[in-house]
Amino acid sequence: MISKSETEIVARALQTALEAGAQKARITYSKSEEDLVATLNGEVDKVTHCSDRSLSLALFADGRFGSFSTNNIEQAALDSFIRKAADIVRRIAPDPCRDLPDPSRCCREAVSGDELGLTDPERDKISPQMRIDAALASSVFGRGITLPEGCRIISEEGEYSDSIYETLLMDSNGVCCRHSECSFDYGVETTVEVAGEKYSGYWWDSSSRHRDGDWAACGEKALLKSAAQAGSAPAGSGKYNMVVDSEVAAKFVSPLLAALNAFSIQQNNSFLTGSLGRQVFPEGMTLKDFPRIPGQTCSKLFDSEGVATADAPIIENGVVREYFVNTYMSNKLGMAPTIEAATRPRLMPWPQAGLGRDDIIGMCGDGILVTDFNGGNCNQATGDFSYGIEGFLFRNGEIVRPVSGMLVTGNFLKLWNGLVAAGDDARSCMTKLVPTLGFTDVDFSG
Amino acid sequence: MKNIDRFAVTEDQLRALVAEGLRHGGDWCDLYFEDTVYSDFLLRDSEVNSAGYHIDYGCGIRVLKGEKTGYAYSESTAFDELLKAARSAAAIACVASSAEQPAFRSGTPDLRRNDCYPVRLGWNGADSCVFSDFLKKIEAGIRSRESRTLKVIGMLSWSMSEILMYNSLGELTSDSRPLGSISVQVIFRQEERIETTNVSRSLRAGAEMICDDVAEDLISRAVRNVDQLFEARRPKGGQMPVVMGAGASGILLHEAMGHAFEADFNRKGQSVFAGKMGSRICRKGINIIDDGTLAASRGSCNFDDEGVPGQKTYMVTDGILTSYLHDRISAWSYGVAPTGNGRRESFRYNPIPRMRATYMESGCDGSVQDLIASVKKGIFVDQFANGQVKIGEGDFTFYVKSGALIENGRLTMPVKDINIIGNGPQALADIEAVASDLKIDESTWTCGKEQSVAVSCGIPSVLVGNLTVGGE
Repeated sequence: MISKSETEIVARALQTALEAGAQKARITYSKSEEDLVATLNGEVDKVTHCSDRSLSLALFADGRFGSFSTNNIEQAALDSFIRKAADIVRRIAPDPCRDLPDPSRCCREAVSGDELGLTDPERDKISPQMRIDAALASSVFGRGITLPEGCRIISEEGEYSDSIYETLLMDSNGVCCRHSECSFDYGVETTVEVAGEKYSGYWWDSSSRHRDGDWAACGEKALLKSAAQAGSAPAGSGKYNMVVDSEVAAKFVSPLLAALNAFSIQQNNSFLTGSLGRQVFPEGMTLKDFPRIPGQTCSKLFDSEGVATADAPIIENGVVREYFVNTYMSNKLGMAPTIEAATRPRLMPWPQAGLGRDDIIGMCGDGILVTDFNGGNCNQATGDFSYGIEGFLFRNGEIVRPVSGMLVTGNFLKLWNGLVAAGDDARSCMTKLVPTLGFTDVDFSG
Repeated sequence: MKNIDRFAVTEDQLRALVAEGLRHGGDWCDLYFEDTVYSDFLLRDSEVNSAGYHIDYGCGIRVLKGEKTGYAYSESTAFDELLKAARSAAAIACVASSAEQPAFRSGTPDLRRNDCYPVRLGWNGADSCVFSDFLKKIEAGIRSRESRTLKVIGMLSWSMSEILMYNSLGELTSDSRPLGSISVQVIFRQEERIETTNVSRSLRAGAEMICDDVAEDLISRAVRNVDQLFEARRPKGGQMPVVMGAGASGILLHEAMGHAFEADFNRKGQSVFAGKMGSRICRKGINIIDDGTLAASRGSCNFDDEGVPGQKTYMVTDGILTSYLHDRISAWSYGVAPTGNGRRESFRYNPIPRMRATYMESGCDGSVQDLIASVKKGIFVDQFANGQVKIGEGDFTFYVKSGALIENGRLTMPVKDINIIGNGPQALADIEAVASDLKIDESTWTCGKEQSVAVSCGIPSVLVGNLTVGGE
């Protein structure tokens, strides 16, 4: 999709940046195309076609740094934009820590952009009618799905989209990387009414291959999720065991990854400061990054600096093995640079492979199964968190009734040290592969 | 017409594009041209050593057939590229419907122009050295007043959006939207403990907002209550009365009721307030407003993104639900005039009903001290990080950055980092007292319903009889 002439424009822009006074520069040119069909109650509601491009420029001039972007790549406009960027950079204070990455760390094998097999030639053959058919295929509105007595569908919103995204990264050290990826996505949100109260449920699927998506099941799964919440109420404040469904469990891993970012460490804004090489998590907890698995959504050979990705342990048997240190933070902190962020992290099964949600509920016995979050936040400096939740109360390993209007509150270090089990059921369509998790002694309110 | 030259189009071409959009039988076509420049300056480690400048330019074309939408956009305003986008959007009219849909017809709004953006000094002409000095002055002020200051991160950003809109009624409108924002994060250390605070100010104004008064406001709010930050604890969780302080507590209105009043959710029957127009939803005397006309407010708009003038809309009048928030589609569906709430993130998105500046008018139940004094055991909250709502269920949450326990009518132990959850209709019905101290909060509020748009909120101090507070 990125043409030869566009590649030449990027190369010329890089040269223009150097001629405008930059000693070093990096350009990232991105282009995407997306077609989307949204449905409402079993009928097409919206059809959109999107085509985007963006040229981002990182300028290093006289020890100063700035980042700039434009979607106008017509030559005169681009030249004017680059001159303006160079002028802005000269007006700010120097920062000697800013630099391009060492070229020896950069990716050399991302040449065609499709080395990981993430593009699907079938996308070119999808007609507008095929998109509409795909969008409607999952709808169950008015199709007589059996629901509990007194439960009726109020609305069903579905959205099918297919897209292709390409990026080309070039820097003045001669680094040149390409990445291409298709994405086929489908999501359905259903609202049902029971005894005058409304309940909603959502289900989705995503794949880089058109044939791999399980589109048809989305509508029914969303409907059954919403119906299952009928009659939900708080379970009462207190300490419970907590099982977090794999669909939403990444919510508890994202704050860890943010706290391991060197920028947070350097700014004294991380509850994991000083944790590198130390056991701060339970022995059973292992989180690894697998960024280069062919055919898997969001796999990538390089990061936004062009640095080559690699399989790496992040937390191994409870020991923190990696901070995410980009070139800037490496120079600031005097630490060896790594990748700038986890690409496709996976929380490994524990204490054994093959556990699913029901197994972990059984291990916990009594507690609350969390199937969705409603707002909340984490204090990155302390690790304190508080989130709204909904899900199910379980006793003796069996679901008893739906719960909602509750809050889970705690501290991430304490929470993770109460880990009972990590399942083996992470969905491969997710960027962060986090399975169903079980924890003990968690504070709930409501 | 201002801005028509900027996008290198003629009125004849605008008419031709609309005709192309309607070629397959569409009922309505509108064009939204946007040229936005955004610039930012970052203070970190005591130096303003990172800057950015970004350009976003293009045109979105929407075609409606009944309530169904076709949408496409072009990042070039060359006529042939715009024609391609119009043809893509026109395809919606070719999509067969199982039932005959009535044709969409929009009312014709009074196109009188507001002037909500009092710019005295344009951002483009301002000297960026002033921005660096301003950020450094804020850091110096914070450090001089609070010795526990470890790090200060400051961001000054401004954007200028030039907008041109045209539609199949022949309405041609333009708008020039400034937006300046300053956000400051301060990291404090006391012995081995680290705490952070965030303050911000955002206005639809010009570079004249880079001034001593604004710096002083940010400094004083950043260093306020640092002792409480280190003393704060998690309360015991559970259900209790909550006194919400004036200003930022307007997040209650935004999450608990504002979204549920957006007419797209009601049109689809999803909102917990669907079918309740004309009903009493809270006590007499309470008025809740969504306002696009406040001078310099982050949520204000001279015109919304469908070319409808910004308005002041009473959603709740004397406790009765009196209006949803409408874009042109929902207004047509309900048979009412659009309320100027059709907003979008950029030309890449079709407009949908969105809030602007949402607030409650002052009440007559005394002061915030009176409200606190009336509570035996509860909680007072006044600073927030974020919120969320489930539209169907009406369950909303907001995250409290600071507050205090109320014990026997007095503020006692500071609290922080707790989530509060409630149900929109129930929380409205549970508002027991409204103080006379309405304050519009001018922080950098951004609403993320499908698309990000700048909003504002405000409220007088209110007492909500029963909400669930997270805790240990």
